[in-house]
Amino acid sequence: MAKIVLETKVLTKRYGSVTPLDSIDMQVKGGEWVAIMGPSGSGKTTMLNLLSLLDSPTEGEYILDGVGTATLTEKERVAVRREKIGLVFQQFHLVSYLTALENVMLAQYYHSMVDKGDAMEALERVGLEHRTDHLPSQLSGGEQQRVCIARALINQPAIIMADEPTGNLDEANEEVVLELFKELHREGRTIIMVTHNPELAEFADRVVRLHHGKVVKDA
Amino acid sequence: MAGDKGAKITKREMFLRILLKSLKVRKNRVFITFFSIMIGAAIITALASVYFDISAKMSRELRAYGANFFIGPASASGNRTVDTGTIGEAVKMVPPEKLAGASPYVYGVVRLDLGNAVLAGVDFAGLKRLSPYWQVEGKWITVDFDDESCMIGKTLAKNMELKVGDSVTVIRNETGFQKSLIIKGIAETGQAEDEQIFVSLPLAQKILGMEGKANHAMLSIVTEGTDIDALAATVAGKFPVLDAKPIRKVSSSEGKILEKIKGLMAIVAVIILTITTLCVMTTLITVVSERTREIGLMKAIGADDREIVRQFIAETLLIGVAGVAAGLVVGFILAQVLGQAVFGSSISFRMIVLPVTLIPSVAASLLAAVLPVRMAVRVVPAQVLKED
Repeated sequence: MAKIVLETKVLTKRYGSVTPLDSIDMQVKGGEWVAIMGPSGSGKTTMLNLLSLLDSPTEGEYILDGVGTATLTEKERVAVRREKIGLVFQQFHLVSYLTALENVMLAQYYHSMVDKGDAMEALERVGLEHRTDHLPSQLSGGEQQRVCIARALINQPAIIMADEPTGNLDEANEEVVLELFKELHREGRTIIMVTHNPELAEFADRVVRLHHGKVVKDA
Repeated sequence: MAGDKGAKITKREMFLRILLKSLKVRKNRVFITFFSIMIGAAIITALASVYFDISAKMSRELRAYGANFFIGPASASGNRTVDTGTIGEAVKMVPPEKLAGASPYVYGVVRLDLGNAVLAGVDFAGLKRLSPYWQVEGKWITVDFDDESCMIGKTLAKNMELKVGDSVTVIRNETGFQKSLIIKGIAETGQAEDEQIFVSLPLAQKILGMEGKANHAMLSIVTEGTDIDALAATVAGKFPVLDAKPIRKVSSSEGKILEKIKGLMAIVAVIILTITTLCVMTTLITVVSERTREIGLMKAIGADDREIVRQFIAETLLIGVAGVAAGLVVGFILAQVLGQAVFGSSISFRMIVLPVTLIPSVAASLLAAVLPVRMAVRVVPAQVLKED
């Protein structure tokens, strides 16, 4: 039986009187693909920010790979994120003045060693071996997202966290990205994906539905 | 592409690649920062170059403000005059390169056409170097043996209604000497000399019946590198009949002027550095504001605070060092312009100018980066990455 890689207990985030995320209890097993769905303002992105350690909860507990995150310093949180999590963003967030290859190598640079060959392979894997020296502005939205995925994968993270990865893509590119996620899932990576897209969610093992910051369905 | 596979890139190479590309993409901001630092460094270089040359240059320049050394008969001797030969020998004890000008003086009261006046016998060539600040209408007397001409002070000329080219009769009752002299020049000195009449030393000695004598000599000595008190003691030691002493009023005010000018330059340098710092800081704050999303992304994919600080400090340092290097060159050129304009001579390059410019300029650049870097470190990825 797969071990639990991610667990939240009464995870809550408050901004003054607003509570975008309220008492979330959740467990995710290794290799599981979890889609987080819900209407705008339901707390999906807040939840992903907490799970990816980009933000800290106001209350509750978050255990990642058996380690409680509440007591981690900011430096330790960055290190955990670097080692264990690959992030995919809706807006791609590539560094505008670096080429596709350099954007991938940037993640290597912050992680450990920079290996151009590995970065090239990551781009080949997402079908961009012919676009390595292009700047983000010279790439289509779908290509930028694939660079973003290559960057997320380069350090072999156990968990991929994606925020609306197909939100800014056309149908053809959405299909390409979906195939990539399916492949990652087959490889046994844990995927937490925020999405509005029911077709994408179909391929997830589990769909967690949020409403007003609370889990209303987990199946 | 296959050839690239497996190629390792060191962290330093990657760091430099990020650094240079991030600067290249922001050419305008980089140029403003570079230009601010360059201007600041150039002004500091120019001021420092002049500052370290100033003592020598200013000391010579201040010699334009009159005599600063007196040689006269020893007070203990009771004499009111001394041999001009002895004075001449005493003057020779001053190193020639330090002697800006010197003249013996002999004084006596004479009668002119409209009343009495003090007559001074001088060495006109020496007097001219001693008193370059005199405003002379007409001409200076340039020939020492000219016994047909005189110069008179402006007040005296006014009181006696005399003009350049007029003749004036000088009468000395005690000697019965009487001679008509042509007024070559009228001098405005702003001092007691405005009421005196000047003739060559030999002529004055003849008029006053004081051949071979002088009341005293006045000297203008470059004080930079000269122990003027020791010089006075040496002269007095060698010539017991003489008193030799610096004119404190001029010597000490000379020092005070130098100190004040140095102080002023230091204040200007501090103001320039402050303005440079503020300008660089403003530009860097703008850069950080423009790059919050990039900083957020770097943090999200694994950059810790140290990496962010390193990136911004390195960028600032690189621009700062380039700006200071350019500033040193521009500043040295500026120093030459200042040197020519103010002192009429070039300013020599001194190694001390390098650290004096480099250290405060780079420190100012780094100081300017403190606030922007703190802003960068405080960027919260979750906040900046969700913004469209």
